[in-house]
Amino acid sequence: MGRSATTKDAHALFHSLRSAYAATPNNLKIIDLYILFAVATAVIQVAYMAIVGSFPFNSFLSGVLSCVGTAVLAVSLRIQVNKDNKEFKDLPPERAFADFVLCNLVLHLVIINFLG
Amino acid sequence: MAAPKFAFLLLNLISILPLLVSSFSVDRPTDRRILVLLDDLSLKSSHSLFFSSLKSRGFDLDFKLADDPAIAVKRYGQYMYDGLILLSPSTERFGGSLDVEGVLDFVDSGHDLIVAADANASDLIRNIAAECGVDFDEDPSAVVVDHSSYAVSETEGDHTLIAADDFIQSDVILGNKKIEAPVLFKGIGHSLNPANSMVLKALSASPSSYSTNPSSKLSSQPPSLYGTAISLVSVVQARNAARIMISGSLDMFSNRLFRAGVQKSGSLNKYEKSGNEQFITELSKWIFHERGHLKAVNLRHNKVGESEEPSMYRINDDLEFSVEIFEWSGSSWVPHVSKDVQVQFYMMSPYVLKTLSTNGKGLYHTSFKVPDVYGVFQFKVEYQKLGYTSLSLSKQIPVRPFKHNEYERFITTAFPYYGASFSMMAGFFIFSGVYLYNK
Repeated sequence: MGRSATTKDAHALFHSLRSAYAATPNNLKIIDLYILFAVATAVIQVAYMAIVGSFPFNSFLSGVLSCVGTAVLAVSLRIQVNKDNKEFKDLPPERAFADFVLCNLVLHLVIINFLG
Repeated sequence: MAAPKFAFLLLNLISILPLLVSSFSVDRPTDRRILVLLDDLSLKSSHSLFFSSLKSRGFDLDFKLADDPAIAVKRYGQYMYDGLILLSPSTERFGGSLDVEGVLDFVDSGHDLIVAADANASDLIRNIAAECGVDFDEDPSAVVVDHSSYAVSETEGDHTLIAADDFIQSDVILGNKKIEAPVLFKGIGHSLNPANSMVLKALSASPSSYSTNPSSKLSSQPPSLYGTAISLVSVVQARNAARIMISGSLDMFSNRLFRAGVQKSGSLNKYEKSGNEQFITELSKWIFHERGHLKAVNLRHNKVGESEEPSMYRINDDLEFSVEIFEWSGSSWVPHVSKDVQVQFYMMSPYVLKTLSTNGKGLYHTSFKVPDVYGVFQFKVEYQKLGYTSLSLSKQIPVRPFKHNEYERFITTAFPYYGASFSMMAGFFIFSGVYLYNK
């Protein structure tokens, strides 16, 4: 009895989340996809290191941190561009995107240097 | 007026001449000048065969009575002799400036010594022997007696004249011709400390021998020296290549025993001539460095393919090592051939230990790979073989790790990380395009 009630609740929760997500604007969905791509790449790299060992540790760190840094920058872009966010109401989205591009440039410069 | 001055000058020049005579030197290790101390000048004639064999091999013998006040081995800080023969077992004190300290300094500076003791050996001789690692029997009246290995003789029946044939197994020390006849020995025995690695028994007593006073009854306690622990003749090779021979019998060197026939009790073989002359002659050749003296020259190492010696190696380099070893044949240096010379590449412990291969002409070489450890290493050759002078060579060389640009450029195991980083960059470009031009 209780178990079926919990699964019913889980199903109801899942459906409500899905329908709410469908209402998000398209640009935010694109950013979410990008973040998903970065995190998946990071997970693949960590699994590879667990198998093979951490021999060129600097390369491993460089690869993982490039994924994590990309994800972090994309998340900050998403926060600044989201219209529902009261804190960044006055920030033009072009300014947010310009910051995003500059920070990515610095990130990739550092990553290539540390890759070895 | 000028003539006396000229004569004076000439006399001065002549007195310097003895010091210019050639002698022991690194290039010619055989000794030249030998001081012989006797306690009785009749030994010159009763042991003449021994002395004439030395003279015929080119040695300059200087005979002196042991208590001659003019004895001096050192003058103005330089040694005047290369070897010392002490055939004076009953002398209590040497004349002149020589004493136990003087004899030991003589040996410590690399010179050779032959000491013969006897049944009435004095404390002086016993002390010299003790300092060289040989302990004579403490009982001053004890001699070596052997009731089953004595020399059969018509006159002496107390079995103190022993026929010994337990020689050390070494072609370097005793020559390559086997000594057929036993050696006649009459005197005192000594023992060696088993912990001493530099002293060897050249002639041992048989298991049935023991050291006792032949004219008194045996005490209830067993004798302190017996069996094969008794050494009749011992040799010592010091680390500075000085060689010492200590014999418990002065009669062993005498003409009488050189010429005597010998028959060991219990055996039917009768030999016309005892083995004494061959044994003593061959042993004296070894003692005075006519045999078994090695020198190592030209220790070289270089990287494979180069000919110059580098000042530093890198880990995982291939290198070649070579050394030349020569042996003194009595008159010239000949190549020494051996299969067991080894080289170590050593830093606190040998990382590489290789046996060197020889080309038969004295050149020993090998090649190996520098280990994967960096630090300051040494090439070490430690060669110690029975009867030969020991070689102890070392050469220091540092080994460095890889330089920054000597690693492989792209590491294969890191390719996924390279791929991930570049895919992130590509993703960034694509995302920017899609985001900006999205309607």
